[in-house]
Amino acid sequence: MLFIVVTILALAATLLGLAFHRFWTTRPEAKATILYAEIVRMFFAWLALRTVQMSRRASPRAWWAYAKGLPLWREPVLEKWLLAVLYGSFLYLAASGFFFAVFIPRGLFGYPLVGHVAAGGLFAVCLTIVVLFKGRDFVTVPKPASLSLSLLDPRKMGLTPARVRLWAFWLFAAAGFVLILSALLPMLRLLRTAGQREMFELHRYSALVSIVAAMVFAGLELFKRPRPPAA
Amino acid sequence: MSGVGRTSFGAAWALAAVLLFAAGAAAQTTAPGPAEPQTRKNAAWDGNRTLPVHLLPLRDENDEPIIPTETDPLPYSARFTCGPCHNYEAIKGGWHFGAMTAKASGRPGEPWLEFDPKTGTILPLSYRKWPGLYDPKAAGLTAWDFTLLFGRDLPGGGPAEPSEEEVLAEPKARWNVSGKAEVDCLACHNRSGRQDHSEWAKQILRENLRWAATAASGLGEVGGMASRLKETWDVYEGPNLDDREWAVAPSVEYKPADFDSKHRYFFDLDYQPSDDRCLVCHSVTPKDAERWRTDMDVHAAAGLKCTDCHRNDIRHLMIRGYEGEAREIGDPSAASFTCRGCHLGEDASGAKTVVPGRLGAPYPKHTGLPLVHFKRLACTVCHSGPKPREGFTRVRTSRANRLGVYGVATWSTDLPAIIEPVYARNGGRKIAPQRLVWPAFWGRRADQTIVPLRPAEVVAAAGDVLEPESHIGQVLIALSQVMAEGETPVLTAGRFIFVPNVDGGIDAADNPGSKAGAPAVWGISKNGAIAPLVPDFDPAAEDKDPAIEARLQEFLQALGTVPAKPGEPVIVVRKTLYRFVNGYLDISEAPAGLVGASGPGWLVRDRSTPLVADFDVRTVTAKAGTEQTLTEEQVSLVLGALAKTGANGRPLYVSGGRLFELDKAGKLASRNDPAAEPVTWPLAHDVRPAQQSLGWNGCTDCHSGASDLFFDTIKGAGPLLTKSVAKRSAASFMGLGGLFQRVFGLSFIVRPALKIVLGICGVIAGALLLLAGLVALGRVAGFMEKR
Repeated sequence: MLFIVVTILALAATLLGLAFHRFWTTRPEAKATILYAEIVRMFFAWLALRTVQMSRRASPRAWWAYAKGLPLWREPVLEKWLLAVLYGSFLYLAASGFFFAVFIPRGLFGYPLVGHVAAGGLFAVCLTIVVLFKGRDFVTVPKPASLSLSLLDPRKMGLTPARVRLWAFWLFAAAGFVLILSALLPMLRLLRTAGQREMFELHRYSALVSIVAAMVFAGLELFKRPRPPAA
Repeated sequence: MSGVGRTSFGAAWALAAVLLFAAGAAAQTTAPGPAEPQTRKNAAWDGNRTLPVHLLPLRDENDEPIIPTETDPLPYSARFTCGPCHNYEAIKGGWHFGAMTAKASGRPGEPWLEFDPKTGTILPLSYRKWPGLYDPKAAGLTAWDFTLLFGRDLPGGGPAEPSEEEVLAEPKARWNVSGKAEVDCLACHNRSGRQDHSEWAKQILRENLRWAATAASGLGEVGGMASRLKETWDVYEGPNLDDREWAVAPSVEYKPADFDSKHRYFFDLDYQPSDDRCLVCHSVTPKDAERWRTDMDVHAAAGLKCTDCHRNDIRHLMIRGYEGEAREIGDPSAASFTCRGCHLGEDASGAKTVVPGRLGAPYPKHTGLPLVHFKRLACTVCHSGPKPREGFTRVRTSRANRLGVYGVATWSTDLPAIIEPVYARNGGRKIAPQRLVWPAFWGRRADQTIVPLRPAEVVAAAGDVLEPESHIGQVLIALSQVMAEGETPVLTAGRFIFVPNVDGGIDAADNPGSKAGAPAVWGISKNGAIAPLVPDFDPAAEDKDPAIEARLQEFLQALGTVPAKPGEPVIVVRKTLYRFVNGYLDISEAPAGLVGASGPGWLVRDRSTPLVADFDVRTVTAKAGTEQTLTEEQVSLVLGALAKTGANGRPLYVSGGRLFELDKAGKLASRNDPAAEPVTWPLAHDVRPAQQSLGWNGCTDCHSGASDLFFDTIKGAGPLLTKSVAKRSAASFMGLGGLFQRVFGLSFIVRPALKIVLGICGVIAGALLLLAGLVALGRVAGFMEKR
């Protein structure tokens, strides 16, 4: 039950956070006032409007056009399919895992479970390759830190969208690593019942972290580039 | 002041906590349930762990002292001998005695199986409300009938000790002659090696109910048979002076040497009954198992007794040890006597609220076992009973197959066929190994309700249809009277040879060299060779052997003793008719009606008919070499006969998971029906050692494309010889899809590769993350300035 609550809250917070980032960086009225209550009111008004607009535009054809317009398909063939499998397997893992965890009391079982295990293998391979060959693109070059109270000041931490995106990548990779570990270890004759239980919880929460990281990464990635041409 | 106040308050809290803890601990370690109110009459435990010496005066059912040397003493009564110290009325409601009056039934247990081979009846019965079972009352069984049927495995009490109102309500019962079988304390608590279950079974068979406990415990020697006495006989009449040979009244003779000078008897008792006493009625053994190859339950091997876990207070409400029982009986301490409670310290919900490790129970490692197994499976799935294997394991149980009754006669039976382990969901929704039996019975359907018929009712309606074995047996037994030493009369038919047995029936054996369609021939077996009963000779020949005709005379004499013979016995040889008339062999020319006849037969309306009907030969030949006791032809005929009786409801027969009825054309038709569904009940023992548990060798012990646990097929078994039987997959009992389990099982072929792939990915990803982390750390710390 705790996991369900944490999951719903975490996903909602991430979505709202991304939406607010979009609102704050794209809407001129966001900075027209310094009153928090006014900003919140305008944000939710904008959010409601955008939700209605997007739902009106949403259709299988529009989604298909959107998917076709992703830059992924313009990558070299090997990279294209690597990323396609990574995204596909991750989407299935997240969908099956969280749907059963939240809505089905029995948890994941049956054919979806078999698919989950198979997709997990694919995801692990693709993630490892991506980290191995693409990780270097996400290595930041921070300045050496000086010991001062400014380290604790968020405004001086340099929390730019680009940096958050980089950290989201590494958080996703780290969570993916924990997911691999927490899937592998219970399959080995190492852990007793308590260890199995811990691994199970670790798997769920690292999955939650990975999906939050993925949402942040994808959100920031999508916002930074121009919109795809209309279908 | 305030400081003092806080200290006092804290101390009070600490004291309360200690008391609460102590109370909780006591609740976990003492006997379950609310304490039995001890009246002054009943003994209360003073805390000493020794057992008092039970040197007691015996008392009879009238609460009179028994003087062993007096004439015609009555048998001892547990109610009045044990009752002064132990609350007999409380004990009467115990698990073993109180099925008729119990408010709750608990988890299903082994049913009483009424087995009647002649009518092909295997009817699962219980006074408890368990699914698939018939209430004995609804099935037409009175307490008296039930006691005679199953009393051999009843420890007295319950139906064997009805109230006076119930006695009066059963006018046909013979309680007045037999007395009641009181709760037999000694059946369980007697430590003496003289405690004899076979003697108990024998006394019940003789209807010596009130004498059974005395005889079985060895307190006294019991003679006579109440079953042979008139229904007007009363125990106070004493010996039957009219008959000292046959209808001898039951009596008991005590051995004065066993008593002291005050007429007190020493009872050698166990507070906790020994396992032998439990196993008398609770043995389960694979059919055809060799004793020296069988192992005992690991708990017994570790030195535990059955009653270490299956405990009870004076109410004798045994802890049965299943998950959820504690909630059902309202006693939380019972949770520590389940597998899970004792070994893991968890209650049915998984909460760690139970005192674990009783009597040194080890904490299991279960390394590598996914958690879902604990959610979905009972512990017994992996740890108890025989391992799943193709065709399942056929077992025999004490109660169903009459094991443990020793003597000249063989009491044990192969039927009913019980198989295990069938994995099915139990009431707690967990999958657990079960024993399974297919019901078989005759019944009538009226208003969508099926009411089983009593075997006697079926026999009465069936006439001779159910008697083929008896008919052939009667002829063979009659002929046995005139056989020379080493000779045995036989009937050969088809591939079989039939010989008489001591029960008045016949036994079948393979007849080497014969063919399936070979005709029936009466013969004599001697030294392994079979000669025709009537040799081929020429009666008209002058040099014929006179001994042959002398033998024929003996045969005719013997056949004349066959009960219910249809006519006069005759033997036709060529055109000569042999008869036995007025003590002499009558030889005459066969009349026209007998032309073509040959061999022995019955003369009926000037025609010779075979000694037994073709139907009889056909029936016994079809069933020979099988366990089945009925053919489809017999079932058709009996259903037809039952339909003609005029009783309400359409007659039917259930066997092998199918329900048989006559269709509109009068042909036998079968179909599935809930009444034909198998009956299952969970098994818990024998518990195997950890190394023999499922999963010890890995996941593929159960999860493989050819797993017996999931994919074995259960075929309906029953007394009817038919191809129309139910077929169920093992997975169907678990409520699981067979296809998915096969796919899932096959996935374990690639599971090792998946582990390797995940391992490699984990190592590489982990190394890269570590490196990236170190690089970032180095830069933040200023150790690394540039790439």
